[in-house]
Amino acid sequence: MLSDSNGPQPHSNNPFVLSTSLQNGEVLTAVNAAASELGLHKAMPLTDARAICPSVKVTPADLEGDDKALHQLALWCQCYSPFVRADLPEGLTIDITGCAHLFGGEVTLLKELEARLRRFGLTAKLATAPTIGAAWATARHVADKRPIITPETLHNTLAPIPISALRLGKPTVEALAKVGLKQIRDLLGKPRAPLVARFGSQLIERLDQAFDKHDESFCALTPPPPYRTEQRFAEPIMTLPAIEEVIRHLSHNLSAALNKAGKGARKLELTFFRVDGWPETLSIQTSALALSRDAGHLLRLLCEHLDKLKDHAGFGFEVATLNAFDVETITPHQEGFKNSDERRKNGGDLSRLLDRFINRFGPGNVTRFAPYASYIPERAMRAVPVLQNNSRHNWVEHAHALQGDVHFGRPFLLFPSPEPITTLSEVPDGPPLRFEWNRISHRITRADGPERIAPEWWTKIGENCHQTRDYYRVEDEEGRRFWLYRDGLYEHEGKPPCWFIHGIFS
Amino acid sequence: MDREHSLQMLRQHISKQEQFTPETRPAVPLGAATLDDTLPDHGLTLGTLHELLPARHGDFSSTVGFGFGLATRILRTHPGFVLWAQPSHQVFRQGAVYPIGLTALGFDPDRLIQVSTPKSRDVLWALEEGLTNSALTAVIGILPENDNAYDFTASRRLVLRAAENGVTALLIRNQPAFEAATAAEMRWSVGAMPSVAHHRIGHPMPGLGTPRWQIEITKSKRGIPGRWPVEWDHETLSFRLATTLADRTPVRTPRVVRQQWATAS
Repeated sequence: MLSDSNGPQPHSNNPFVLSTSLQNGEVLTAVNAAASELGLHKAMPLTDARAICPSVKVTPADLEGDDKALHQLALWCQCYSPFVRADLPEGLTIDITGCAHLFGGEVTLLKELEARLRRFGLTAKLATAPTIGAAWATARHVADKRPIITPETLHNTLAPIPISALRLGKPTVEALAKVGLKQIRDLLGKPRAPLVARFGSQLIERLDQAFDKHDESFCALTPPPPYRTEQRFAEPIMTLPAIEEVIRHLSHNLSAALNKAGKGARKLELTFFRVDGWPETLSIQTSALALSRDAGHLLRLLCEHLDKLKDHAGFGFEVATLNAFDVETITPHQEGFKNSDERRKNGGDLSRLLDRFINRFGPGNVTRFAPYASYIPERAMRAVPVLQNNSRHNWVEHAHALQGDVHFGRPFLLFPSPEPITTLSEVPDGPPLRFEWNRISHRITRADGPERIAPEWWTKIGENCHQTRDYYRVEDEEGRRFWLYRDGLYEHEGKPPCWFIHGIFS
Repeated sequence: MDREHSLQMLRQHISKQEQFTPETRPAVPLGAATLDDTLPDHGLTLGTLHELLPARHGDFSSTVGFGFGLATRILRTHPGFVLWAQPSHQVFRQGAVYPIGLTALGFDPDRLIQVSTPKSRDVLWALEEGLTNSALTAVIGILPENDNAYDFTASRRLVLRAAENGVTALLIRNQPAFEAATAAEMRWSVGAMPSVAHHRIGHPMPGLGTPRWQIEITKSKRGIPGRWPVEWDHETLSFRLATTLADRTPVRTPRVVRQQWATAS
C-alpha cells in the first residue's frame, strides 16, 4: 500500500498505519505487521487505534495511487499469463490455465511469484484454485503458505471459511450472520429455494461459482492477443544489441506462427518486463493496405523505437513478449519463380513503406489528399492520414467545379492561414498596384480577377473572417505570382479594406 | 575488329557492374527539343538525384512549380506514386502543397503521398526509404535554407539508392547560393520569369500567361551547363522554350523625319 509521503517504512518494527477520512471519522485502511500484532486491523477507527497504541505512526492513505499501482502490477503480471485482472482494492486474479507448466508447475510458479513480489517490497498471499471464487477465498482466509487447491480438496478447504469470503455484499453477509450462518459449510446441503428467496440469487450464484458448478469468467485487463511469443532471460538484459537480438528472435517466431496459420496482423505490441515490476510496451500499427507477417518487416518496424526502450531499461529486462492483435487471414499468392533480384524490383510494396513512415513520424504525418466539396480554398481539400484514405478521387472534376475553365486558377502552395500584406496605390474594385509582404515590395504588372468567393452561410471560415473575399491572381515585375484577396467589399463603411496573401503560384 | 569488339564487351561489363553509372540511362524528354538535345540523356535522367535551387530569394515557389512539372513529365511515362517530404515547420513559412493547384499541371494529386517530418534530417531519411521502393516513381524532398544534414555523403547515399531501383529523386533546397559539392547528377537553378502579358480590352492591367521559369543547369556530371527560358504547355503537358514576343509598340519618329516624309510625299 502506498502512502503520500516517504515517512516510516511499512516493514519497520514500529506500528505503522494508513488512514483515510470517512463519514464517521478517520478509519484505518492498512496496518503493518507490528501494528497487526498489537490488535489493530483494517476498518478500525483511528481513535481506537490510538487508544490501543498511542505511539502508532499514522499517514494519510493515497487510495488512487494504490489503485494505479495495483493496475501497474497487474500489467506486469502479464508476463505469467495474458489473462490478468486487477481486483480492486487489493487483489490480483491471474488465469494460469495452461501456463503453469511453463514455470515448472503450480508450486514453483507460486514460489517464484511470491519471491518476486517480495523483492518489489510487497507482502503477498497467494493461492491457486480451480475456480476464481475459491482462489479469492483461500488467498484471503487460509493460513497456509501458498495453498494449492485441487478439485478434490476444494470442498474440504472451503467449508470452514467465513461466508464473507464468497464475495457477497455486506448486507447479505450480515443477514446471514443474524440467522447463524457464518461459515460456508453452513450453506452446503441446505435447500436452495428458501436461500434464494431470503438472501437473493447472488448468494447461490457465488456459491456455485466457488464450487465449480457455475462458470465464471473475467474481463482481462488488456484483451489477450490471439498470437503471442515470449522469451525469458537467465540474466536481465539492458544493452541495445541484446534487446535487438531478442526482438529479432521474437519477430522470427511470431512470423513463423502467423505464416503457419496463414494469418497476418495489423497491430503489434512488444512488451519488455522490467526486473522491478514495470512493463515497457511498444505498440505498432501497420497500414490498412496489407497485413504484416514478414519477420524482416516486423523487425524493422520494431527496431525504430528501440532508443525509447533503452532509456527505460532501469535494472534490465527479464521477460519479453511480442503480441499480435487484429489478426486476419491472408489470401496467399504466389511469389513467383523469379530470381531474388527481380523479386526485389517487383516487390515494391507501398504498404511497407507507409508502415515505416507511419511508425516513425506518426499516422497523422503521413497523408494523402482528399477533395472536399467547398468553395472556400482552405476547405476544398483535406490531408487525410493514409490509413484512412485509400480510395481514388476525381480531382480534375473537383478542380473544374472550383475554378471553371480558368487554368492555373489555384496556387501550388497555400498558406495554412492567410498572411496580411500592406497595399499601396489601390484602385477601387481592382488589384493594388503595389504591395509589401515580408518587408519586400512587389510592383504588380499583370493581374487576373477578381474571383469572388462568398462564405458559406452555414459555417464560418474562421473566428473573425466571415466576409466575402475577392481573389486576384497577380504577377510582379520579376514574374512571381501571388494569390491575393481583399477581405470584404471595397466600399465598406469608409474603412480601408484589408488585403491578404493566401498562396503562391509557380 | 576483334580487339574493338572485346573492348566494347569489356565496357558493357563494367557498366553493368557499376549500377549507378551505366552508359545510357532511361530519361524523360522535357518537351523542348533544344533543351532535350543539350541534356546528356536527351531528357531528364531517371534513377538519379537532381538538385533544384531557387535562383534568388523568393523563387522557392517557382522551384516547387518546376519540380512538379518535372514530376508530371516522369509520371506521364512511368506511372507510380510521388513522395513529398517536407519538414513540418517549413509549411508555415513557405506554404503547403495545394492539390487543386497541381491539377493545372496535369499532376494527379491522388499520386502524391505527403510526409511531414519533425526535422530536416528526417527528410533525407524519408527520401532514402522512398528510393528503395519501386512503387514510387519520384521522391521530392524539401530542405530549408539553414540545413546542414545534406552533404556529399548524404547525396551519395541518395544517388546509390536511386540507381538501385530507378526511382528519381528531386531535392529542393531553399538556398540560392548553395555551392557545396555533392554527388547529384545535376543542379538546376530555377527563377521566376514574367509571363506573356495577356492584353484584354476594358481591363486596366494585362492578364497572366502560362507560368514561365528561367532555368539554368549550374552543375552537370556529364552534360554541359546552360540557361534556358521555359514555360509550361498545359495542352501537351510538357515544357517548351519560352520565346520573347516581338516588340509591337509603334516606332516613335522624330519630328524632323516626319517633316521630311511630308515634303517627300
